[in-house]
Order: sequence, then C-alpha cells, then structure tokens
Amino acid sequence: MTTQVSQPASPIAGPIERAINARKDKKLTTGTLGLIGLVVVLGAWQIAASAGWVDASFASSPVGAVRALVHMIGTGELWPPLLSTLESVACGMIITVVVGIPLGLLIGRSNTLYGLTEPLVSIMYSVPFVVFLPIIIFWFGIGAEARLVIVVWSAIFPLLINVIAGARNVDRHYLQVATVFCAPRLLTLRSVTFPATLPFVLAGVRQAVGRALVGAIVAELFMGNAGLGYVVQTETSGFKMDDAMAAIVVIAVLAIVLTRSVAWIERRFTFWSSSV
Amino acid sequence: MAPPRPKLRVRDVEIGHRSGRKGTYALAVDGLSFDVAPNEFIAVVGPSGCGKTTFLTAVAGLIPISGGTLELDDHRIDGPGRDRSLVFQQASLFPWRNVVQNIEFGLKAHGRLDAAGRARVAELVELVGLGGKGDKYPRELSGGMSQRVNLARALATDPELILLDEPFAALDAQTREVMQEELTRIWQADGVKAGKTAMFITHDVPEAVFLADRVLVLSRGPAHLVADIHVDLPRPRTPAMKRTPEFLAMSDRIVDLVMAQSQIGKQAQPGRRVTSDDHAGVAAG
Ligand SMILES: Nc1ncnc2c1ncn2[C@@H]1O[C@H](COP(=O)(O)OP(=O)(O)OP(=O)(O)O)[C@@H](O)[C@H]1O
Ligand SMILES: [Mg+2]
Repeated sequence: MTTQVSQPASPIAGPIERAINARKDKKLTTGTLGLIGLVVVLGAWQIAASAGWVDASFASSPVGAVRALVHMIGTGELWPPLLSTLESVACGMIITVVVGIPLGLLIGRSNTLYGLTEPLVSIMYSVPFVVFLPIIIFWFGIGAEARLVIVVWSAIFPLLINVIAGARNVDRHYLQVATVFCAPRLLTLRSVTFPATLPFVLAGVRQAVGRALVGAIVAELFMGNAGLGYVVQTETSGFKMDDAMAAIVVIAVLAIVLTRSVAWIERRFTFWSSSV
Repeated sequence: MAPPRPKLRVRDVEIGHRSGRKGTYALAVDGLSFDVAPNEFIAVVGPSGCGKTTFLTAVAGLIPISGGTLELDDHRIDGPGRDRSLVFQQASLFPWRNVVQNIEFGLKAHGRLDAAGRARVAELVELVGLGGKGDKYPRELSGGMSQRVNLARALATDPELILLDEPFAALDAQTREVMQEELTRIWQADGVKAGKTAMFITHDVPEAVFLADRVLVLSRGPAHLVADIHVDLPRPRTPAMKRTPEFLAMSDRIVDLVMAQSQIGKQAQPGRRVTSDDHAGVAAG
C-alpha cells in the first residue's frame, strides 16, 4: 500500500522530511533562488504588459493585480468570498477529521476491515477526485451541501491512507510493554496507540487541508455562488483580469498559510519523534 | 534443613512456536526445569536462538507454555501480572514520554501513581544515575541512558520477579561494563541478599558471573538445562573481582559449556539433562 503513497503515509517519510528541514541552510539558498525566480518572472510579465507586448486587459499584470487586491481590501469586497471559502474548508475539514480519524483507526486495527477496504481506499486516493464532479452534481445538485461533499471527498482519502498506515504501524514492542504492565485497554489506547499514531494522523491532516482547499475552489469554480473560486470565475468572465489575478493571489497565500499552520502543529505535537 | 520455598518453580516446561505459512510447530523450549529462590539473581546463558527470549516471554506471561508447570509464589503463571516486570532486549521506551513519564508508566498502568508512587519514581531517577535528566525525551538519550530508564521502569512497580532480556546487548563494551557495575549497585542498594528476585538473560558469560548468584546454561534449541552453576563470589561485588583467578576460572568453565552447545556438527555431550538438584555434580565437572 505504501508504494502508492507519494507523500508521508510511510514511516520513512517523516524522517526524510525532517532531514530536509535539518538542512535549513541549504534550503535558505534555495529559498533565495526561488524568490529571484519569482521576481524575474513577475518582472518580465510586468515589462511585457507595460510595453504593450501583451494586452494588459487580457493578460493582466502584477502591478494591476496588486492594485486590484488593495482595492478589494479597501472596499472590503475581499472578505465575504474569503470567509465563504474558509467556511467551506473549515466545515469540510471538521467532517473529514471527525469521520476520517476514527474510521482510519478502525480499519487499521482490523485485518479483515483492512483487507476489505484497502483496494477501494487506494483507488479513491489515486483517482483525481474531479472526475466524480459531474456525478456529485447529479446526486447532490449545486448547492452548499454539494460543495461540502466535494471538499470532504477530496480531503478524506489522504487522511484515511495516513491514519490507516499509522494504526497498522504501531510498534509491537510498545504494545508488549503495555501488556507486561497490565495496562487497562483505555490507557493503552490513550497512552500508547494514540501517540504512536499521531505523527501519521497529523501528516494526513496536513495533506487533507491542502486537498480540502483544492476541493473548495473547484466547487466554487464550477457550481458556486460565493467564494474565491467564484470570484476568479466571474471576474474572468467579466474580463476583469486584474481582479481575477488578485483573487488567485489570495488563494495562493491561503494555501500556504493553511498547510504551514498544520505543519507547525505537527512539529509542536510530534517533536519527540524526530530522529535527527 | 528444609529447602526454602522457591520463588519461581519451572518444571518440564515446553514452549513452541507456530510459524510459517503452513503453521509448522517447532519447539523452542523442551523439558526445562529449575527453581529460583527468593532474592536470588539468576543469569541464563545459552547459544543464540536456543529459546532464551521465548522462555522469558513465557515467564512474563506474554505467550503460553504448551507443557509442564510454571509457578510464581505457588501460583500458576497464565498471563501477564503485576508481580512481574520485564526489561526488553531492545530499548522499548515510549518516545512520546520523557524519562520520568516513562518510568511512571508501570505505576500508572497499575493505578498506583499517587504521591508515594511519584516519590519512588523520583528516587529511581536518582538511583539509576539520571538525576536532572528527568525531562529528557528518549531521542535525546544515549543507548546506556535508555537502558537505565528501561531498568528504572521495570523496578518502579516493585515487582516480585524482574526479568531482563539482554538489556546491555546493544551497548558498546565500555558502557556495558559501567552498566553492569550500576546494576550490581542498584541491586545491592536494597541490601545484600535482599535484592529483588531476578532472571537475567545474556550472551556474555563474564557478565553473567559478575551479576548472578547462579548461572544456568541452556542447551542448543530446543532449550533444556545443561548446567546450573552456583557463583559463590562474595557480595558486594566490585569490578576488581573480574580479575580474580576464581572469577576467571568460573567464566572459562561456563564459556566451555556454552561453546560445546554452540558448535554445530560436533555432537555435544548434553544427552544428560540436569535438574537443579544435581547441579553440584556439573559444577564440579
Ligand atoms: N514469534 C516466533 N515465531 C516463530 N518462531 C519463533 C518466534 N520467536 C522465536 N522463534 C524461534 O524460536 C527459537 C528460539 O528463539 P528465541 O528468540 O527464544 O532465542 P534466543 O535464545 O532469545 O536467541 P538470542 O540469544 O539470539 O536472542 C528460534 O529458533 C526462533 O527462530
Ligand atoms: Mg533473545
């Protein structure tokens, strides 16, 4: 199963990520290089737009996008769609976490359930969820519930995959210690199984948040009446490219902030597991 | 003089493993018999793979025996119990609990983590030489420090019988020596002849002789008893004793016994099974 998982979900992934973190100095130069690359592209784009090589009303421009963003913030136009998107992501994540973690633990702890569901879960994880979009619309319409379904649908499988892997990888020796000391079941669950699984759970939550945002935006693009995706959609249709670009910038910032916060929580609660 | 009531009674114990896809049944321990007296420190040596861990795991109650009797204080062992604790072969500390929390685990499991329990844990942290390191996490500990925590965790519940499975096997030679001395010190801290009853498995014969009151030599698997050797070196023991002729002679004799078991092909003599009553004969020979 682990072979199909590109991100964590295997015990090896954590240490690798940490090894990358440990090489902060090298990352710093990569970070600076990345910044230079970004500036070069934005600069070229701006020059092309200002010099009239491309039609700015067609291609927008960095300065135009920033101006639009400042305007959206000034008039307060930004907040309702931002809040709407955040709300979709938050509701979707709550459902994902509340359903996904117990379900994953249950599947992971039972060999029968694992055998039954493993192929299904990996297929659902691997297939791009957007292919289910028409079917979801057919089943649930294009209302708020349908959007929520899409968010959960896209977020829950990376979480499930990770939690299942975590529950299956609880070190036999840890459980033996609990048995030798005659620990009651509840204590074993709370003080052994849960912390042993936590790194996997949090890695899953981090991936799920990213996927939830993608789900929310896709839902808004195709069937929304609110949200940042809807703004991108309507502004593009209205040829207001600067505003569309401004909304995209907000989405990008949101994506970074969300995954970084979960990564921070991850480090905060599983600091003990770092092997370096 | 009537023999004192044994703490642990092992009679004709037979333990097997079912393994492989076909579930073939293979004996790991076959006809093992001996007694352990109260407050006795027993070391068990034997060739690798002969069934030492299997036997210890059965005494801990983690696996069932398929024949014979295994009794602690006249009660049949039929599962894990609060009267036993186990120091594992590998450091099995919980990485999410710090030193103090790891040592507390057994008491917590028994629902005995009250003020007295905490005081005992604090005492143990000092006793195993980890004073001031109570809030460190396992990943911050060296191998030797980890095994000290492991030892303290097993001692914290104040068991009737403490089982140690090669606790120092993964340590380098120097740390190992230090830990052996520490273990005798911790042992003797309760007073000479008043330490906890212990069963210590090791590959290292001098370690066995240095630590134990009696050394049991097991045969090549399936294990039975080959020799039961009384170590009459005085206590408290000091590292200097490791260089005395008595110590060296005893070590050599036991090494020979183990080697005879380890050598494959060469048919070792141990057709004869030894029970704890006739150990004098073997010890002399
Ligand atoms: N869980 C198991 N399933 C099947 N066979 C096992 C199992 N554990 C051990 N065995 C077998 O039982 C025999 C005894 O193993 P055991 O681990 O008790 O040896 P040991 O004396 O502790 O060895 P070492 O000194 O190397 O630790 C070996 O032949 C081993 O292959
Ligand atoms: Mg072993």
